Amino acid sequence: MAKMTMGLFSGSLDRLTAAGVVLGGAAADDMDVDLFVLLQGARAFKKEIAEDPDQLRLSENDHLREEFLESLDRLNVSPWLEFFRQAKELTNVTVHICGLAGKIWGGEKLEDFVDIADDICGIGEYLTSAEEADIHLFI
Amino acid sequence: MDSEELRGMEVDELVDARGTACPGPLLAAKKSLGKIDSGQTMEILSSDEGTKRDVPKWAKKKGHEYLGTVEESGYFRIFIRKK
Repeated sequence: MAKMTMGLFSGSLDRLTAAGVVLGGAAADDMDVDLFVLLQGARAFKKEIAEDPDQLRLSENDHLREEFLESLDRLNVSPWLEFFRQAKELTNVTVHICGLAGKIWGGEKLEDFVDIADDICGIGEYLTSAEEADIHLFI
Repeated sequence: MDSEELRGMEVDELVDARGTACPGPLLAAKKSLGKIDSGQTMEILSSDEGTKRDVPKWAKKKGHEYLGTVEESGYFRIFIRKK
């Protein structure tokens, strides 16, 4: 079974959505996925922020944010977190939150993050995972 | 199989994923595949253009038999047989 490691640096709505679609594809393919949530990503994964799109911007063309959200709605595209939840239900996805990034945004414990987060980790684990993966993406 | 044969086929499982965006139809296909036995057939309805290529590629990669696609007005009917 193929293994994918994803470094999710971004906490922007558009990149989180793209990452979610990629995870969906990986889930359809039964890949094992190690997801490492890094700096801005860790902020987006905080409990009080994850489900509130008003807290997140677009990485590019943020002036088109409303149009982007309306289009997602019209096209029946799930909110980004739903992609992550669904992928986790369908395949083996482990969500690691970078400990330093968590602290930067005031998240010390696993409970400070959304329920799909599995553990708080360090950089060594990310690199070891990437070294062993068939696919490594950094978003 | 040609379009006429596919249109006349009685499938074991029908998955209507019309109106869902990528990767919705692919995930719906994967979920529904668990409901049928080896050798049984499944038809996936999708209005997503990308799925027309995605589902056959996915099915072949997983070892299932891709039987063909019929294009209707505004959607596709994709047929596969579970390995």
